[in-house]
Amino acid sequence: MKQDSHPLVVSVCYVRLLASELHASARFAADIFGLQRVAEKNGEISFRSDNRFRTLSFSDGLSQSSSIGIEVWDEQALDQVEKRLSRNGFAVSRATAHDCQLRYVQAALLASDGSGNSIDLVARPTQSGRRYFPSRDAGITQLHGVGMRSTDLDKDLQFWKELGAEVSDWVGDIAYLRIDGLHHRIALYPAKQRGLLYAAFEVETLDNIMQNSYFMQERQIKIVQGPGREPCSKQIFLHVEGPDGIIFSYVNGMSEMGPARRPARQFPLVPESLCEWGSESKDVPELSAGVD
Amino acid sequence: MINLKDVSYVRLGSPDLESAETFATSCLGLQVAERGKKALYLRSDDRSHTLCYTEGDPKGQAVGFEVEDEDCLQQAAATLEHLGHRVQAGSTDDAARRKVRSFIGFDDPSGNHIELVVRPERSGRRYFASRDAGITGFSHIGLNSTDPARDERFWTQVCNARVSDRIGDIPLMRVNAIHHTIALVRAPHAGIQHVNHQVQTNDDVLRSFYFLSERRVPIVFGPGRHPTSGARFLYFKGPDGMVFEYSVGVDEIEDEATHRPRQFGFEPTSFCMWGSKPAGMALPSDQ
Repeated sequence: MKQDSHPLVVSVCYVRLLASELHASARFAADIFGLQRVAEKNGEISFRSDNRFRTLSFSDGLSQSSSIGIEVWDEQALDQVEKRLSRNGFAVSRATAHDCQLRYVQAALLASDGSGNSIDLVARPTQSGRRYFPSRDAGITQLHGVGMRSTDLDKDLQFWKELGAEVSDWVGDIAYLRIDGLHHRIALYPAKQRGLLYAAFEVETLDNIMQNSYFMQERQIKIVQGPGREPCSKQIFLHVEGPDGIIFSYVNGMSEMGPARRPARQFPLVPESLCEWGSESKDVPELSAGVD
Repeated sequence: MINLKDVSYVRLGSPDLESAETFATSCLGLQVAERGKKALYLRSDDRSHTLCYTEGDPKGQAVGFEVEDEDCLQQAAATLEHLGHRVQAGSTDDAARRKVRSFIGFDDPSGNHIELVVRPERSGRRYFASRDAGITGFSHIGLNSTDPARDERFWTQVCNARVSDRIGDIPLMRVNAIHHTIALVRAPHAGIQHVNHQVQTNDDVLRSFYFLSERRVPIVFGPGRHPTSGARFLYFKGPDGMVFEYSVGVDEIEDEATHRPRQFGFEPTSFCMWGSKPAGMALPSDQ
């Protein structure tokens, strides 16, 4: 990283999704998953999970696209990111004022990673003055990170490294990428098709993970995997099947990396590398560690 | 006042010691301390044994509590006899079978067989588990009661137990700083309702949940968390229908002088704050 004073990118700040059934998706986000519904405009329904104006939105796809928002430090950082990405052959374009309005940000660079996933690099995403007040007590504290499906791992890794991300650990070729003091905010999963694998929302405690687990079971909502714990990051997780096959995860307890740098560790691609408690995913190949 | 220091052991009858050993070692994760002809001794911590299976009727059960010394034991015998309990003095052979210096036996008001013991043996070698369940030790028992209010009086007035919390009229009672050592459970007859072992971490509770599920051991309650003691728990069924519990994070009562028992309503959330429901295990009924 060339910047000594600050990193280029700061956080995963939103997930914009297309929904085949907009209102069913919205009901899932608020009534089942437990986010706060905040706005419905431009064909899009938005939800909060923390102090940001919105971290998740569903749209019908007529006036909106899908993308992952990554907050950059400031407008200068945006310029730097633009140079770095275009120099390395990644398609980038400046967002129009209308694009920015749709994204609730002041400036943005619309990019594609190596797999063709739309990544918005955004400056000054909108915060909310009022505190977060969710629809039910799921214990959500923030949008924590994302898992991305990668069809071109080398190119995707290059993309994220240009933004300053570093690999914390490997499970087979699954790469956990760190952009701040935590083990990872972005994970790349080798896959046959691109797209978002999961959006992970942090909850306050293990209690919330377990309460949400029983909440889902009672409502016969499919749990894709968990409750479980990633041995690499020590993060406790519950992967819940959301609308259109997107996984919505509750997470807690990810380890911090600490000041001492260490090389990325390699774990084998076996189920216990993805869950040290013994939970397994039967139906999602990216989370099954090669076991059918 | 009979001064109980701690719970020492549980003795369980079983017609099939071989199956009991298989379960105790490959599922529960205890260490075999000794195999006798008609008894199997199991360790869970520094003590020489904390669970003993004896060949025989599963209804033949006993719970051992440690008292300070021989004098206390004799005083306890006198107190119990005065109250009309039939007290049996343990023979030297029977004491040796329990790995204690001396003991007496009696039935509590519900008919649970209780033994008071002096100088239970500890082991010089550390506990080495048969599987990595994370067990740190035998900790408490759930005890059937045909009349919880009467039995609470016995444990708290004849003995030194103190009520830490109540769920309905079900008392959770401590004899030391640990939130509870005896949990009474309303039932139509006497019996040990569950045997608890503490484990190191949350991870152990969840790992065992998946481990035991895979081995088709019936999980009867949990993974869950008791709002009373704060413990994360898992209940599962062993040989002869006995329920075993793993738990971690049991609160300690910090201030003995000022602690007042809290009253919890008799409802599912008082037993599990996560939302797990008992399955194949009788929750204590309030009636």
